[in-house]
Amino acid sequence: MIAEQIAQTISSMPEPLRTLMTWVFSEAFIKAAVFPGALFSTVLGMFAVWYERKLLARVMLRVGPLHVGKVSGVLQLVADAVKFLAKERITPSGAIRPLFWTMPSAALILSLLLYAFLPFGAGWIIYPSEIGLLLFFAVLALSPVPILLAAYASGSKYPFIGLVRLALQLFGYEVPLFLALAGVVMMAGSFNIERIVQAQSVVPFVVPQVLGFLVFFIAALAESERVPFDIPTAESEIVFGWQTEYSGAHFVIIQLAAYEKTLALCFLGALLYLGGWHGPPIPFLPETVSAPFWVIVKALILFTVMVLIRGAYPRFTIDRVLDLGWRYLIPMALLNLLITGSLLYATRVLAA
Amino acid sequence: MADQAGPLWFLWDPFILYVILVLLAPDVFYIVSWLIAPSRPSRVKRMAFESGQAPIRSALSSFPLEYFPYVVIYIAYAVVAVLVFFSLLSVLEAGVTPLTLTLLAVAAVISVYAGSRLRVASGRRG
Repeated sequence: MIAEQIAQTISSMPEPLRTLMTWVFSEAFIKAAVFPGALFSTVLGMFAVWYERKLLARVMLRVGPLHVGKVSGVLQLVADAVKFLAKERITPSGAIRPLFWTMPSAALILSLLLYAFLPFGAGWIIYPSEIGLLLFFAVLALSPVPILLAAYASGSKYPFIGLVRLALQLFGYEVPLFLALAGVVMMAGSFNIERIVQAQSVVPFVVPQVLGFLVFFIAALAESERVPFDIPTAESEIVFGWQTEYSGAHFVIIQLAAYEKTLALCFLGALLYLGGWHGPPIPFLPETVSAPFWVIVKALILFTVMVLIRGAYPRFTIDRVLDLGWRYLIPMALLNLLITGSLLYATRVLAA
Repeated sequence: MADQAGPLWFLWDPFILYVILVLLAPDVFYIVSWLIAPSRPSRVKRMAFESGQAPIRSALSSFPLEYFPYVVIYIAYAVVAVLVFFSLLSVLEAGVTPLTLTLLAVAAVISVYAGSRLRVASGRRG
């Protein structure tokens, strides 16, 4: 009814306005600018920072942000962003200027691009594709490059130490991440994330692939440099790691890029392992609304676990990080693949 | 909607529109910052941060060599990842066959053996 009213109002408008309003209410604009797109991902990124600070404060028996904004300091993040944007952007004298200035933007662009390949319900996707998971992984595999270049371009010693740690860590955890995702693809028989979610309508893949889910979650923690894998930015030993020389707007952009990447990985985990938009139906809500609701709830549960891990664990040293990645996660991921393959083969033989 | 075929057709494609918005996202931050941030650079501010000391020599000097073996392992496992990818494609094409199962079993056994054998010398853990 509301949609019909809107359509009537639009068709009664004069010409340039009518085209504009048709565009604003078109599928393209709503998908790209509002729901799975720009507005949603940036607002969600800011919400995640606030949520993490609040929850982490509760873990540490503090109250966290309190005064800015009426309820529990919800506007603290806006105040922080304005404060950072009002700070001077300093370029160190040893920096490679073009790289130093462009790489934070490149990191944010790559992190936001991840959302184009994530479905939030049947049809709720910006770029539907048969190889959606491969495209997601391709963008994810590119995302360390701007960060490494940013650290290299700083021309300073602390960022260089962070750069070496970051390179060892990120490339060490990309292989297990890919091997874990391979198990899901094998079980669902498709690279299309929507199909993978449909294949979980009875049992979410976390049940037959416990090992794969563990590997995915640990590798996602390491890929997004969260505690206990925050050795590249370890703020109590190497100042702020690879981000040391970045100030003002650069710093906000780098932080936002990191949170967008973390959340994109949480959404991927919710879609591939926790059953995506399959959940108990909610009364009075249509499928188009309840599907994204369940995806967001499941992703936020994963994010909550990440924050609780940050509250509970100390930082791993670099040799432990590398040991875990190369000596435990990769064999676990390959064993998971073998178990998945055997399960599929057994069901096929029994069915024949 | 006749406008979808006009010169602005790309505005009606969700992906292209999203890429345009994503490319604009960092610029918003820089424009706001350019409007409200001060810019008074000085020699001391532009020094690399070393806790108040003036930096000595180039920053790109030392590279810890004790983790170099991991770089070698990375190259080995990149090949394994390619093997897994192609066996994945074959599974999508023809289902799980005894051959793919054997390949995966060999890869799993080798990686478990390598994981139990591999120790990289490090001062902390001996």
